[in-house]
Amino acid sequence: MKIIVCLKQVPKNDSILRINDQGNWIQDRDLTYEINESDAYGLEAALQLKEKQGGEVIALSLGPARVQSVIKEALARGADRGIHLEDPAFDKLDAYGIAAVISAAAKAEGFDLLLTGLQSDDYGFAQTGVIAAELLGLPHATIVMDVQPGDGSLRVKRELENGYFQWVSMPAPAVLTIQSGINTLRYATLKGIMGAKKKEIKKLDVTALGIDKAALAPRMEFLRVYVPQKSKQTQFIEGSPAEIAASLMEKLRNEARVF
Amino acid sequence: MERDSLEVDVLFVGAGPASLAGAMRLRQLINKHNEEAEANGGKKLDEITIAVIEKGREVGSHMISGAVMDIRPLEELLPDFRERGAPLESEVTVEDVSYLTRRFKIRSPIIPPPLDNHGKYVVSLNKLIRWLGPIVEESDVMLIPEFPGAEMLYDGDRVIGVRTGDKGVGKDGEEKDNFAPGADIFAKVTVLGEGSRGSLTKKHVERLKLDEGRNPQVYAAGVKEIWELPKGRVTPGFVMHTLGYPLPNDTFGGGFVYGMQNDLLDIGLVVGLDYQDPFTDPHRLFQQFKQHPAIAKMLEGGKMLYYGAKTIPEGGLFSQPKYYGDGFLIIGDSASFLNSQKLKGIHMAMKSGMLAAEAILEALVADRYDNETLRKFETLVRESFVHKELYEVRNFHQAFRHGRRWGLIESGLQYLTGGFGLLGDLETEAGHEKMKKLHVFNRMPKRSGEVPEPEPVKYDNQITFDKVTDVYRSGTEHDEDQPSHLKILDFNICINRCTQEYGNPCQYFCPAAVYEVEESGGGRKPKINFSNCVHCKTCDISDPYQIIDWVTPEGGGGPNYINL
Repeated sequence: MKIIVCLKQVPKNDSILRINDQGNWIQDRDLTYEINESDAYGLEAALQLKEKQGGEVIALSLGPARVQSVIKEALARGADRGIHLEDPAFDKLDAYGIAAVISAAAKAEGFDLLLTGLQSDDYGFAQTGVIAAELLGLPHATIVMDVQPGDGSLRVKRELENGYFQWVSMPAPAVLTIQSGINTLRYATLKGIMGAKKKEIKKLDVTALGIDKAALAPRMEFLRVYVPQKSKQTQFIEGSPAEIAASLMEKLRNEARVF
Repeated sequence: MERDSLEVDVLFVGAGPASLAGAMRLRQLINKHNEEAEANGGKKLDEITIAVIEKGREVGSHMISGAVMDIRPLEELLPDFRERGAPLESEVTVEDVSYLTRRFKIRSPIIPPPLDNHGKYVVSLNKLIRWLGPIVEESDVMLIPEFPGAEMLYDGDRVIGVRTGDKGVGKDGEEKDNFAPGADIFAKVTVLGEGSRGSLTKKHVERLKLDEGRNPQVYAAGVKEIWELPKGRVTPGFVMHTLGYPLPNDTFGGGFVYGMQNDLLDIGLVVGLDYQDPFTDPHRLFQQFKQHPAIAKMLEGGKMLYYGAKTIPEGGLFSQPKYYGDGFLIIGDSASFLNSQKLKGIHMAMKSGMLAAEAILEALVADRYDNETLRKFETLVRESFVHKELYEVRNFHQAFRHGRRWGLIESGLQYLTGGFGLLGDLETEAGHEKMKKLHVFNRMPKRSGEVPEPEPVKYDNQITFDKVTDVYRSGTEHDEDQPSHLKILDFNICINRCTQEYGNPCQYFCPAAVYEVEESGGGRKPKINFSNCVHCKTCDISDPYQIIDWVTPEGGGGPNYINL
């Protein structure tokens, strides 16, 4: 089974974020990065599938030179090779643009499964995988918790609301967006890290991918990013327990309108 | 799962300035040796592998320092450091040395010569190491972050390498699904560059009695924050050092304020860990420092961005352990290569690493890695500026043993006499032995069992912040599902003796709110929030009973320092 897993490099969870001078995104100075959380689970799912089925795992990332570190991390954990999509034209892509580039690269490579995380921790659109599937003309499933490959087909478990799950059968190749927390992430071993140095990372730009730059023009633009104003208030109700309960009920009914 | 093992020629432990400079210098020397051998038909050194292991998530994530830096070793290592975009903040432009009383700041009319920082640079060690790491890696050195050195490997008493920490161990010591045992890394020479109070260095020095006949090491704890101020307020290269408030006369230390690029101000306080009052709390003293009118004015309208803490080995020349032996060398802060009078250690750390590299080259050429061969390191140190500087300030910290007032006079005399002072060479006392019991301060626990506590500080979240808020700003993270890496050897001592005798000073000296004492069901119980730990080692140093053992947590845990 040939699996391409998309890994996005995002600012580290809990980073101290500051808004940039234009006020339309965060300052990229003084940030440290990591693999997008749900993408890391996608990678683990791919590695486990490979262990069971055999085949190949390809780690793909899009972005400037720094994103090579997430590809290297994936190679150290057991991915077989990497693809790095880098071009100045990829600097300010929206979800459609990212999906267009990824799908071009994936199409050229050929695959049985294309995995992405459910959504990215920075933009949180949850669209990249879905649009890529559409551009590739392939079926997709979102919020995937388990993947059972069959002969030219797949059974996948999807998470629904209220603790419900759904099993879906679909033909392969397909695109799946993976939910966080579905498996236990492995550590990179020292042997893995040493071995990763010998693995190939293929770099592809606009020309190599044969993409028309005009098609990447953003269809969406950030106007303003700001820190939400605090609207939460804490009130202390005093009195006897009976009075407190009555007052609380009154406030829940009339002010908070929870009933 | 099988234990990995790896053979390298030279292994550095801890990717700080000492190891990185050492590893890169070694590669340069090997290349030069091979070029010369090629030209003269001599014997080349083939395929020498050099590795640096690091406990932090990335090379740089545990790096913190003041810092004003003497950049000579950087120039020596990388003559084109400017072209390569070394992130120096600024050459020192404005200097201010002041004495603080509770309300006033008295500026010294002259800059005392040891604090003259003309020609030195304000740097963020963190930025510098994050920049240097990839350059060192390009020079063909393996950098391996997230692999802490957990144990030394010996053949008899000869060091043969390091075992890294296990990963995937649950909080009760059980192996989780993703358990990965630590790897054995074997090396001809193991170089310990772990920084202040290295956890391997501590046990190694004990085992081989490398500190026999030396002064005990004395430490200070530094806490600092980086502030972003309104545009144009910060002068890059501004350097201020203060003495006095809020430190009592008998406590060594002082404050610092440095101007960085991009409107960032670097502000911190260093507190000697050889204090007497068990309620001494470096973080709390730092909050008081910031509330001083002269300091608070500087911070007005600013925003605190980052926080961090580290310890500093202050003991100097006479506290240095024997830093070479069969199969090993010790460099940087781990071997007390730090000038406590000039408040500088980065240049000495780098230079000690580079001198170690010279000694290792000779060992590689001779293919001998014993005590006699590696003694060369000591010879090289003694011929370098490192020894000269350490020798001149050999009695500096000791001068403050009777408090600040006398210390200033005595250290002045030392300066005039080339370090001799009044009485010649002086001994030190380990900090934890200087701590006095509660009754000395009239703070006996009451008959009711009520335990005395220091007066609370007000945290306004403008200028002053509690420890938990500050720790958040250090980016510290540890997987909660692992055993605590702070090993208390005997909990009974905490409750039965320490509470009565010292009032559990761990609650105060720890700058990261790791230690709490909980009242539960009529009893007191220590609680250890190990995931807050910023890896400063203050607890391992300052615990009066020496029953706290700091060991390495799972690789990748700890602070994620930026700009510190």
